[in-house]
Amino acid sequence: MPQSAPSFRDPAGCCCFFNQRVLRFVTASAIPEFEDFLQTNCARQFIARKRIVSTRRLNENETAALRESPELQPVFDAQSIGAVFEHERIPFPSYPHEWPPEMLWAAGRLTLELAQAALADGFGLKDANPRNVLFRGSEPVFIDALSFERRNPGDPIWKPHAQFVRTFLLPLLASRRWGLPLAEIFMTRRDGLEPEDVYRLCGPLEKIKPRTLSLVSIPTWLSRRAGPDDQKIYQPHLLANTEKAQFILESLFKRLERTLDSLKPVAQKNSVWSDYMATHSYDDPAFAAKEKFVSEALREFKPARVLDAGANTGHFSALAAQTGAEVVAVDLDAACVGAIWSRAREKNLNILPLVVNLARPSPALGWRNGECPSFLDRATGLHRDGAASSAPAGAFDGVLMLALIHHLLVTERIPLEDILRLCYELSNWLLVMEFIDPKDEMFRRLTRGREHLHAALDMKMFEQACTPYFEIVRSLALPGTQRRMYCLKRKGDGN
Amino acid sequence: MIILILAYVDPGVGALLWQTIIAAFVGFLFYLKKTRRWIVGVFRKMFGRSQKPSDTVAEIPAKETMKAKSDVR
Repeated sequence: MPQSAPSFRDPAGCCCFFNQRVLRFVTASAIPEFEDFLQTNCARQFIARKRIVSTRRLNENETAALRESPELQPVFDAQSIGAVFEHERIPFPSYPHEWPPEMLWAAGRLTLELAQAALADGFGLKDANPRNVLFRGSEPVFIDALSFERRNPGDPIWKPHAQFVRTFLLPLLASRRWGLPLAEIFMTRRDGLEPEDVYRLCGPLEKIKPRTLSLVSIPTWLSRRAGPDDQKIYQPHLLANTEKAQFILESLFKRLERTLDSLKPVAQKNSVWSDYMATHSYDDPAFAAKEKFVSEALREFKPARVLDAGANTGHFSALAAQTGAEVVAVDLDAACVGAIWSRAREKNLNILPLVVNLARPSPALGWRNGECPSFLDRATGLHRDGAASSAPAGAFDGVLMLALIHHLLVTERIPLEDILRLCYELSNWLLVMEFIDPKDEMFRRLTRGREHLHAALDMKMFEQACTPYFEIVRSLALPGTQRRMYCLKRKGDGN
Repeated sequence: MIILILAYVDPGVGALLWQTIIAAFVGFLFYLKKTRRWIVGVFRKMFGRSQKPSDTVAEIPAKETMKAKSDVR
């Protein structure tokens, strides 16, 4: 059953996942405009470049079959649906609260490019929200093809300008200037930051800096002066000279582009984990042995979809991507994730890096928790067919959990059994795990005098805990360390 | 269970007013630019100067683009 009326935001239609398909229901009155847009040069070019999702209209028989589905009946009933379109499926949906600033910036760039390109075809973007964008690997793709509307050529105002500022520019400014994590912004605010929110953070000098003045201070002062009931503000100001209106809009987009470029995230050099690869506790032979072990497992099992949990700088994500896998790399450090994204884009690697703490994964968000599924619902495959199952098979063929288990055991105090159970739910086949003995230097650093809590933990106990869920294919002690690599194969049924 | 993806836009207050003010200013620049072009054109005619190759490259496509855009409308 739909969790809410589909018409409550966009009156032109809605989109939903159904039986592993992405369906867009378009109201009868919105169909001509939608189909006209799909025929424009802008739509054709961006679809060909894979920057807008490919879209096809379902024929009458296909639509009739959907009408018979009781689950979709409320969608058809809520609006006068004239046609159903099907979009290509983006492998792993992700949301702005899981992105590093680099990805939000790339999504903003694509949004502006599209707004400018559509203008030349007489269309405009009717909203400018990062949730219109998903990532295929590291590449942004615009998914809300219904976001385009025919423009009045005399209108010099771009209504979604304020939303673009709230959801792209101000979060990027807050992240860059005050280090505010995007997760904190987007988990609590669907529509980003209001200029007034940012104004409160600014000191007197900050308020009069040119960029802040234009994005934050002047809009805040104007907003205070405007009467709360003044509806004149929202009346369209149409110009008789359409060439002038076009000139004004083009100038606005160029200005927004310059502002966005000035907020381009810069690589952070001093995050806790970003220099881990240079400072980790392995010596060269141990690291080489670990790399060889992971490579061999990937070559032998050839997982098509890999989750790299605790990816750090993405060294092993890149290794998996080079074997042809589609990789989702998660880490709690936004600086690391940003670096993975930049590297993946530069080297054209199929890696989707996300800021996710596996011990506190992103929850389901939005109205009735139905707009953004939780990370685990996506990662365990629960959300793929929409059917809840007591034992999901996992959205990934392989899970890499390297140098992470001690953080979950010690810092997060998660029982070993639960960690393995989660791996079982995430992977439908392979698990490559690095076991870290309590005698390990990093493990001891984390325990901070609580060694007694892990006194019983050793290799044997770990192997025993694996037994209900995984079969040990092979293991390897890393030379000169208290660590051991495990290649594990998922059993058919966990307890 | 199906999952809904929805979109909507709030035009804001201060940001919309600020955009309107800038639009008025840029609209004024539009006329300045047109006037400048007109004056340059008049001077060229008065002194019978032919267009420089660099002007041809810079201006003709711009004019054609404008024409193409107005044809679309």
